[in-house]
Amino acid sequence: MSPWGARGRTGRGLLALGALAVLLGSCAVALGVGSVDVPVARVLAVVARRAGAGDLDVTLLEDQLVWQLRLPRVLGAVAVGAVLAACGAVLQSLTRNDLADPFLLGVSSGAGVGAVSVIVLGVGVGGLAAGAVLPAAAFAGALAALAAVLLVASAGGGALRPHRTVLAGVAVAHLCGAYTSVVVIMHGQGDAARRVLAWTLGSLAGLRWGSALVLLAAAVVALVWFLAYAERLDAFAFGETSARSLGVPVTATRWVLMVGTALVTATTVAYAGAIGFVGLVVPHLVRPLVGSRHRVLLPASAVAGAVLLVWADTAARSLVEGQEVPIGALTALIGVPVLVWLMARRVAA
Amino acid sequence: MIRRPVLRPTLPAALLAAVVSTSGLLSGCTGAPAAESAPHTSAEPPVTVTSCGHEVTVAEPPTDVVTLNQGATEVVLALGLADQLAGTAYLDDAVPGKWRAAYDAVPVLSAEYPTNEQLLAARPDFVYASYASAFEPAVAGTQEDLAAAGVGAYLSPFGCPEAEDRPGASFEAVWDEVADVATALGHPEAAERLRDQQGEQLADLRSAAAGEGLDVLWWDGGTKSPNVGAGDGGPQLVLDAVGATNVFADLPGSWAEGSWEDVLSADPDVIVLVDAAWDPAADKRAYLESDPVLQGLTAVREQRYAVVPFSASTAGVRLVDGAAALAAQLDELGLDG
Repeated sequence: MSPWGARGRTGRGLLALGALAVLLGSCAVALGVGSVDVPVARVLAVVARRAGAGDLDVTLLEDQLVWQLRLPRVLGAVAVGAVLAACGAVLQSLTRNDLADPFLLGVSSGAGVGAVSVIVLGVGVGGLAAGAVLPAAAFAGALAALAAVLLVASAGGGALRPHRTVLAGVAVAHLCGAYTSVVVIMHGQGDAARRVLAWTLGSLAGLRWGSALVLLAAAVVALVWFLAYAERLDAFAFGETSARSLGVPVTATRWVLMVGTALVTATTVAYAGAIGFVGLVVPHLVRPLVGSRHRVLLPASAVAGAVLLVWADTAARSLVEGQEVPIGALTALIGVPVLVWLMARRVAA
Repeated sequence: MIRRPVLRPTLPAALLAAVVSTSGLLSGCTGAPAAESAPHTSAEPPVTVTSCGHEVTVAEPPTDVVTLNQGATEVVLALGLADQLAGTAYLDDAVPGKWRAAYDAVPVLSAEYPTNEQLLAARPDFVYASYASAFEPAVAGTQEDLAAAGVGAYLSPFGCPEAEDRPGASFEAVWDEVADVATALGHPEAAERLRDQQGEQLADLRSAAAGEGLDVLWWDGGTKSPNVGAGDGGPQLVLDAVGATNVFADLPGSWAEGSWEDVLSADPDVIVLVDAAWDPAADKRAYLESDPVLQGLTAVREQRYAVVPFSASTAGVRLVDGAAALAAQLDELGLDG
């Protein structure tokens, strides 16, 4: 089956260790990159001091840069990358559709409606600080779109059949997209169009500890939750009929996983916008390496997604001086060539 | 009444007839009615002004000027030539109080750009705009089209579509544009008056140097990363005028994307919050004070803010007012650099 399958437990253990080491290394490098130069030794000192390694000599500025600005952003990238990649893997099995991605159920376009309402129309929410309104509105928009998709998809049976769900998602996404374009064109003032575009392309800039912790919590909960469904997902890979004959409650599983993936995806979109390509591509990259058993595929996708996003985000904030490159463009730039290479290899084989 | 036999034309004949009559209309058998332009009466020779490589020749001082964009409107108001305006359109924020009465006396054609028809209905003899987008077909039409219809069309040099046609931001460049407009409107002396008055105001601000020794962050907007006043634009001119140091002076352009990391490491003495209709200064202040990291900045802890309207930070006639407003607020903060 997979190249690692034969080596069994030890092989997989080594792979897991290696993957975690790569992830930690990536985070360490990312912490050292920024528009203000902080030497590696100082970065380590900041982290060590915060980790309780004694009263190290660290300036307030170094702590602000490394611990308060960069680390939440890096951890946010880890969480968002892990969530998106794991959701992609789940949904690709669930719908038996290679093109399924975490935004399948209209979550990103719904979040866009919320975001545009705040950015362009200036819709406020009583009792919420200006900085908190945007994520709240995006999350609310995502939930509304999800509800609309589920309503349309489950009309007449409630079985959430994949092709019906995909179509409902496309329909709702187009409706939300129409609203977004109309609002930007008709009411956009100043640089509103640019701000909306930047939000749509996704960005991890501006993540602080509060939001990073929410994202990390969402990632942990999602992974544990999805892993509990690993065997059912394996059964789905052989088709709905086989899954049913193996005793899997097909409809219930679909509901739980579709709503679950949409909720965690909506959480990432609220804070980081819709970062494309990670959820679509990473599972395809990981499957040839670890096989398609979900007990391994899900965590492997999560780690690979996290590494990809940490690097994409580091590139986003350091490639062009004085400007952030949209992270969605970078995930595509890194992901597409790898995907094309994989496809070519598969054809050759 | 003589009844003529009716000949039913065959289809090709009908087609031919239709084509002939349409082309007759197009080629101007009847043509558009002649423009009811007044005969050339003044003794003054026609004047020509040029911007963005486009020459505008004005035979008569125009009396029905339409200004598009706030900057253009304010140039005419500052010149005191509002009685030559037939209409204005597209404010970014409020017109300042000193010009309010004159502004209110002129019809506002539309909140943003007028449609081509709305513009024509104002029967302008001169159109003056700040941005090239005003001369798109859906708005005023191209400058060439307007010229062909006998309407002068002047685009602010700062809004030239080609970057190499745009002057660097400077008070001189602002005054040059004002002089062009005043000349086209037949009152060059009004521009000289404005230049003298602003020059004097500027000299006073420079010698008072209210911002001497102060490091200032000019925050235009953007929370994820700050959009800041950079080294070569309106914000830099204002900061130079009051003698303050721009912490992002080394970034190119008028505005640029800065980073909060650089802001933290510079720890500015004062933060200028730009006030725009779409992003008020109060929201910016609330953001700074609620952000766990940025609230540690000295300027935030000690509430050292200055508010400058966005329209007084772009290269235009209100730039001097922007500098004066900043100087007054810095004096009030009472900092010693």
